[in-house]
Order: sequence, then structure tokens, then C-alpha cells
Amino acid sequence: MKQLSIIDLSGAVVVVALLALAPVLLNSNYFTGVLTVCVIYAIWAASWDFMSGLTGRENFGHSLFIGAGAYTAGFLATAWYANPWYSLPTAVVVAVAFSLIVGFPTLRLRGPYFALAMLSASAIMQRLCLIFWEYSGGEEGLYGLDPLIQSPLHYYWFVLAILVAAVAILTALAQSHWGLLLRAIRGDEATCQAAGINVTFYKIASLTISAAFAGLGGALYAHYQLQVSPPLFSVVVSITVIIMVYVGGIGSIYGPALGAIMLTLLTELLRSFGEYRLWVYTLTLMLILFFLPNGLIAPLWRRLTERFR
Amino acid sequence: MLEILIYGAVSSAIYAMLAVGFTLIFGVARILNLAHGAFYALGAYAAYVFTGLLHWPLFIAAPLAVLFVALFGVLMERFLVRPLRYSQLAVLMITLSVSLAVEQGLFITFGSEYRNVPSFVAEKISIGGVDIGGQRLLALIAGVLVLLLLWLFIQRTRLGAAILAVSQDPEAAQYMGIPTNRIFSVVMAISAGTAALAGVLVSPFLTVQPTMGLLPMVKAFAIVIVGGLGSIPGSILAALLLGYSETIVAYLISSSWTELVSLVAVVTTLMIKPSGLLGRRAAF
Repeated sequence: MKQLSIIDLSGAVVVVALLALAPVLLNSNYFTGVLTVCVIYAIWAASWDFMSGLTGRENFGHSLFIGAGAYTAGFLATAWYANPWYSLPTAVVVAVAFSLIVGFPTLRLRGPYFALAMLSASAIMQRLCLIFWEYSGGEEGLYGLDPLIQSPLHYYWFVLAILVAAVAILTALAQSHWGLLLRAIRGDEATCQAAGINVTFYKIASLTISAAFAGLGGALYAHYQLQVSPPLFSVVVSITVIIMVYVGGIGSIYGPALGAIMLTLLTELLRSFGEYRLWVYTLTLMLILFFLPNGLIAPLWRRLTERFR
Repeated sequence: MLEILIYGAVSSAIYAMLAVGFTLIFGVARILNLAHGAFYALGAYAAYVFTGLLHWPLFIAAPLAVLFVALFGVLMERFLVRPLRYSQLAVLMITLSVSLAVEQGLFITFGSEYRNVPSFVAEKISIGGVDIGGQRLLALIAGVLVLLLLWLFIQRTRLGAAILAVSQDPEAAQYMGIPTNRIFSVVMAISAGTAALAGVLVSPFLTVQPTMGLLPMVKAFAIVIVGGLGSIPGSILAALLLGYSETIVAYLISSSWTELVSLVAVVTTLMIKPSGLLGRRAAF
């Protein structure tokens, strides 16, 4: 098993330090907000990568967990007026519950059932939010959430700390015996089963971990936007996350996180393109699929640091 | 009672048209086409452009719309999907990005507001005391006809036999001299064409807007999973089941609950009989 090398660790320290200092140096509330969104997307992308990147079971409805976490935060704030800090653990629990409901019937099976079921589940949740508008606020969603931390800069640092913790935990899991098993499942599921590995258990467990971080990210997003709305469940959110993972390099966890940050910053630059933005995204994805099937960031980092290892 | 019978048949026919194309391209080429809903939306918009904007007569506009989408599907398969067929995930990603690109393209060209397509058949027809729009009846009849023709085509023609052969074993079919890649193109054209026809037929009585493809595609997934991935009779059977149970739920409870029907159907199928009603073994 590959151990974390000094060069990887120092690279991580430099990137985190840059991210932590950037808002202080630029000193603009707008930019701090953009960075907060970047970091939340990075949590989503890293969590997607842990399940789907390692086991190769592509999840086309990650927004189901993101939306579940965000709406949990929304309900806690608007229906029960709970302390905003309760929403983080509750969002994790709800997202995990959702992952078990979808994971149990679909992950036992091979083939494309999981991808289809996740896509359908998130699309149907979005419809349900509109249909049961009396409870979910319909098109406008729920608003009036309280911020977790008043100062935007401090909140940014808090979210960044969660990202660092998430990437560290997920990387540690991916480097462990457990991650090796997940990668083995991606390689050949039948052989793993024949070797006596409970394949279904590992797939479902990795989905719950992935969902837990996605739900946490959803709640963080809700407390940043101070409102939640049905587009959080949309396929567009899922596909955005998947594109970020692809750009970062699937299966590497740190790559997708950086890919998310890079692409979100790029999106800000493209803001003037307005409705053409998604086209740019789609085009990026097509180009990457054809020319860089292994992604951009993680392979680049490996190539750059090859000689120091 | 009769109302449920007729309206259920109409929505079943439309679901069946969507699901059969989706299951056909999966069964033959192993392409899980997430752009299937985009074909449906493109068909509806083509009908809108030809009849609503250009005022062409129906018998020209409808076939042209179907042909246009079929061509689009063939080009997509040839240039975007085929180079990536080595990986199932890459195929999923590319078809999904095509569907997003189409949705955004429609949004940019036509805006997000609802578009109206003039009715092809204006009269209302009364069957046993139930008034039903002629347009819905047309959709039902056309749907049944198309499925029947498709069945005859696959069972009775040489090309149909080739399609069957490829679906059973692409490699062996190639050894027998069947041009597999050309078969994929044909099947893609049929699949895209039936989805587009469904879009054309529903365009006068459903709302035409850029995101209209997503939910029918989710329904098509549900039907295909319930019927068995790759099985045409299975998806027709499941389309009838889903079409009728949605209509019954809409009449007995409320139309907002219909979305749940497909979700419940998928979850129960996957729990009890994951291969679907008529699993992959009985391919056609």
C-alpha cells in the first residue's frame, strides 16, 4: 500500500495555506463568498469520488444527498426553530438514511441499476418538493435560516477546516485495507465475491459514508445561502459534481476537491456568459472524456512530483 | 370507469413508445442512453417549429420532425458514443452531457416559457359517453401502430433478424458477417425516432418546454426496470401497468401522487425480482 509521501503532504499544506490566506489578502466579502461555495463543492466532489470513484458504481444522483442535507437544515430552522448547530449532525443522519433506502435495493445488483435509480430518485425528490409545496415551500423553497457563524471569513475557515478533515478522512479510508477492497470491487466484482468478500456490504457502507459527507456539505451550503430550494435536488447539481470529479481525476479524492475549486472559480469568471455557462461545462466534459480520460489535476500532480519520489 | 380505461391506454401508449426505444438501444448496443428524454423534447420542439411557426401541414411536419431527431440520434451515436464505448461510465457521461446540451440549447433558442403546438385533430370524439380529445386518440392509435410495425419489422425482416442476432451476441454476429456498427446506427435511428414521435404526438396537449424530457425519461427508466432491461414485451407490459396505475392513482387520490407510482414500482421490482417482469433472457 502506498504511504503518503512528504511531497504530497507539503503540497497539501501549501494549497490549504493558500486557500486559508486568499480571502485575507484579497479582503473582499464577495470573494470570500465565492471561495466558500468553492470549498463546499469540493466537499461534494470528494464525497462523490469516495463511493463512485473507488468502486466504479457511478452515482448520477448525488444531489439527492446534498438536497436531503440542505432541506434538513431548512426544516430544522423554519419548522422547529432549532439551534443551527443541530442541523449538521441531523443532516448527516438524514442523508445516511436516504442512502440506505436507495442503496439496499440497487447496490445488491450489478449493471446500471444503481446509476438509474439514483438519477430517478433525485429527479423525483425535486418533483415532490414542488408537489408538496405546503411543507417544502415549493418553487421558492425555505428561507430564513440562521448563519452558523456570523462573520463570513470565520465561516469560510470553518468550512475549509471541514473540507480538510473530509479529504483527510476519505483519503485515509481510501488508502486503508478498506479502500483496497473497494478498488478490487471496481476491478472485478465476481472475483471479490468468490474470494469471500461481502461485496454488497462494502458498496453500501461506502455509499453511506459518501452520503454523510454530501449531506454535511448540503447543510453547510444551506447555512451559507440562508435558504434552500428545489434546484438543489436537480440533475444539474449531480452532473456538475461529476464533471468536477472528472476534471480532478477520478478516484484520487484530492484531485476532485481541487477540480471543484478550480471549476467554481472558472464559473465565476464565466459569469458574464450567463445562460451559456452550462454549455461551457458540458463542452469541458466532452473534451475531457475524449482527450483526458484520466482527468487533469491528479495526473498532472503525479507527473510533476514523479522525480521527487 | 371507462374514462380510466381510455386515458390509461393513452398514457400507456406514450410510455411504451418511449420505453421500447430506450430498451432497444440498450438490448442491442448496450448503450444506456441518458439522452433519450432529449430526443422526446427535440421531437416536440421540431413539431412546434414546423407546425406552429412554419404552418406546414401535419403529414409533412410530423415525419420530418421524426426524421430530424432520428438523424440527430444517429450522428450522436456515430461521433460521440462510439469512440467511448470501451467504458460504460463514459457512455453514460457523454449521453448525459448531450441531453444537458440539448436542454440548454432549447432554453437559449426558445426561452423557458411554454410553447403551444396547434392540435392536429381538433374534434372531440365521444366513446360510450366519455369525451376524449381527438389528439389523444391519435396518440393512442399511432402508438399502437408503431409498436406493431416495430414488432413485425424485428420478427419478419432480414434486418430485424440481424438486430436480434446482434442483441444476443455481438461478436458471433460479426463473425457471421453482420455489420454490427451499421446495426447500431439503425437501432439508434429507430430508438430516437420513436422517442421523437412520442414527443410530436403529445406536443399539442402537454406543455412544450426545455425541461420536458427529464420526467418522461425517468418514467421510461422505471418502465424498463420493471419490465426487464432489454426486453421489448416486458417494457410494453410495464408501460401498461404504469400507465394504468398512474391514471387510477390520479382519479382516486390526486394527480400529485402519480410521481410516486414509478418510484414505488422501481423499488419493489428491485427488491423482489431485480431482473424485471420479463428479464433479459427473453430478449425480444
